[in-house]
Amino acid sequence: MSVARPTRCLLSRRLAAAAKPAAPASQCHAPFHSSAQLAGRRKPRFKSIRAEEIGLTTPEKIEEYGNKVFPRYTPEELEVLRKRYTGKQMAALEAGEAAIDPKDLTIQGRLRRDPYRIPYIDDFSKIYPIIDKRPKVHHPPNPFARFMTEEEDVADLTRRLEALIPKDVNFENLPQEEVEKILDQRIDFPLEEAKYFLEPETLAGAHGPSNSAVAPALGKKLAGVEGMYKPPIDPADEGKDDQGIYQDLKRRTGLSVRDILDINSKILVTRVVHNQTRLGKIRSTWILAIAGNGDGRLGIGEAKSVEMAVARQKAKLLAIQNMQPIRRYEDRTIYGNVKAKVGATIVQIEARPPGFGLRASHRLFEIFRSVGIRDIAAKMPRGRNPMNSVKACVQALQSQRDPEELAAGMGRKFVDLRKVYYGGNVH
Amino acid sequence: MGIANVVNMCSHLQNASRAHLGMTSFPHTKYNLSLAITLHRRGWLSFVTRGGTKPPDPATISTFEPEPLTTANVSRQRLWVGLKYNAAAGGKPVLGAITPITTPKRPITVKLKDLERLARGLDSHPHRGLNLGESIILTTSLGTLDIREAIERKVGGLLLCRVGP
Repeated sequence: MSVARPTRCLLSRRLAAAAKPAAPASQCHAPFHSSAQLAGRRKPRFKSIRAEEIGLTTPEKIEEYGNKVFPRYTPEELEVLRKRYTGKQMAALEAGEAAIDPKDLTIQGRLRRDPYRIPYIDDFSKIYPIIDKRPKVHHPPNPFARFMTEEEDVADLTRRLEALIPKDVNFENLPQEEVEKILDQRIDFPLEEAKYFLEPETLAGAHGPSNSAVAPALGKKLAGVEGMYKPPIDPADEGKDDQGIYQDLKRRTGLSVRDILDINSKILVTRVVHNQTRLGKIRSTWILAIAGNGDGRLGIGEAKSVEMAVARQKAKLLAIQNMQPIRRYEDRTIYGNVKAKVGATIVQIEARPPGFGLRASHRLFEIFRSVGIRDIAAKMPRGRNPMNSVKACVQALQSQRDPEELAAGMGRKFVDLRKVYYGGNVH
Repeated sequence: MGIANVVNMCSHLQNASRAHLGMTSFPHTKYNLSLAITLHRRGWLSFVTRGGTKPPDPATISTFEPEPLTTANVSRQRLWVGLKYNAAAGGKPVLGAITPITTPKRPITVKLKDLERLARGLDSHPHRGLNLGESIILTTSLGTLDIREAIERKVGGLLLCRVGP
């Protein structure tokens, strides 16, 4: 492309423009918005004038306006009001009138006209529960109220009965039947009796009805009641259970706290479980505990709680509560071979000779130790789920048959050869 | 044929016992009779009697007289046995499990030495030692015996079934 070409274009355009007849130059730019142009807007005909410049804020003008808009009652109007209201009400009216200065109303008083205004103008005769506070019609409760003494109670009853007696009847010199007849007519005895029993006034110095539907709280240091709401501490516990943890268990099992504390309880399985709610997962801890006294009693307890410590405590207490006797041969092993199945877990337990020891997995070992078994072999040929293994082991131990019972069923005599051979000196 | 019937008898006894029946019956054969009598002798059954297709009256079972055996009625004869339940154990059956060992296809015999091991609770392959309350019934040259009777008489034989609570 030739260098001369742009120059030629430029020159030709310039020349073409010069050849055209001159158009009138546009005075304003093309409008870029739809509002009226500045030149087209109307200006106010008057400048804004302040109230002071007109003289509306002088004290005289204000008073004049106030007297015109908020006039005081005329003597005639007051006469009409006096006919309508009592003296006290009139005094209140006048006091209210005197309390409000018309000048304040003139300067500050505004009536709202916006759509969000409060639907009333200081109408105190009505209570709007959303806007107004609940009226407290009664006195606040007396903090020094106390229970009636016996004499006061009797006096209260006397006062109630005397209030029932009609005042406009002269009972003097009336025969007994007449008196009873009048009383029956005038007094609804069943209703009064019900009132006395259902709405008893037990406090002396109480201020009558309360502002709250809730009964007033008793004082903290109420004579005769002070200190009675502590959990009772049983002296038989020897100070071992001041928290009252074992009291329920003690009542259920009949064991003393010392015996309960001597029982060996152990947590064998802990699981963190989740409850999926629409608000998220709620994590809880599930605990399986066993308890054994080391002398043929075994219990299993399972508990779940959001708090791990609570679950542990509950599981241990339940385990103690659920303790059952377990049959033991010579107090060292079991009778025969037993087997139990929970889920996919099978636990096989076999009796073993003295001195064999405990050959079992760690959870089963703890169970055998706590129940007081010393010679045993346990096998779990299939699943080894912790929970199921413990449960199956306990089931297996409980499924032992009594040899005497079996022999009786078959009508045969049962003899323990070991005892016969060793002359009863087996342990 | 006889052994097959013993196997059927074992299954039937176990089913009837677990169903808590008072009495039951099976075909009257030589093997069935010998096994039933052994079970009764060892206390697993309350009575064994021959009868017809109708069961005998259990109230008068001690004086029950079966009809005489003739060639005409022998094929309809059955063995009626009474089952026992353990009142002390909450009505559990005395005869809780009875499993046949010898089958018609595979007779299993055991010598005295192994019987002694089994009776002491020790394993003797392929047989597991006896558990608490268990017993083995076997047929020997001295008749059908319990395992302890066989050891007493020092004889081994054909294992019929294993009985347990």
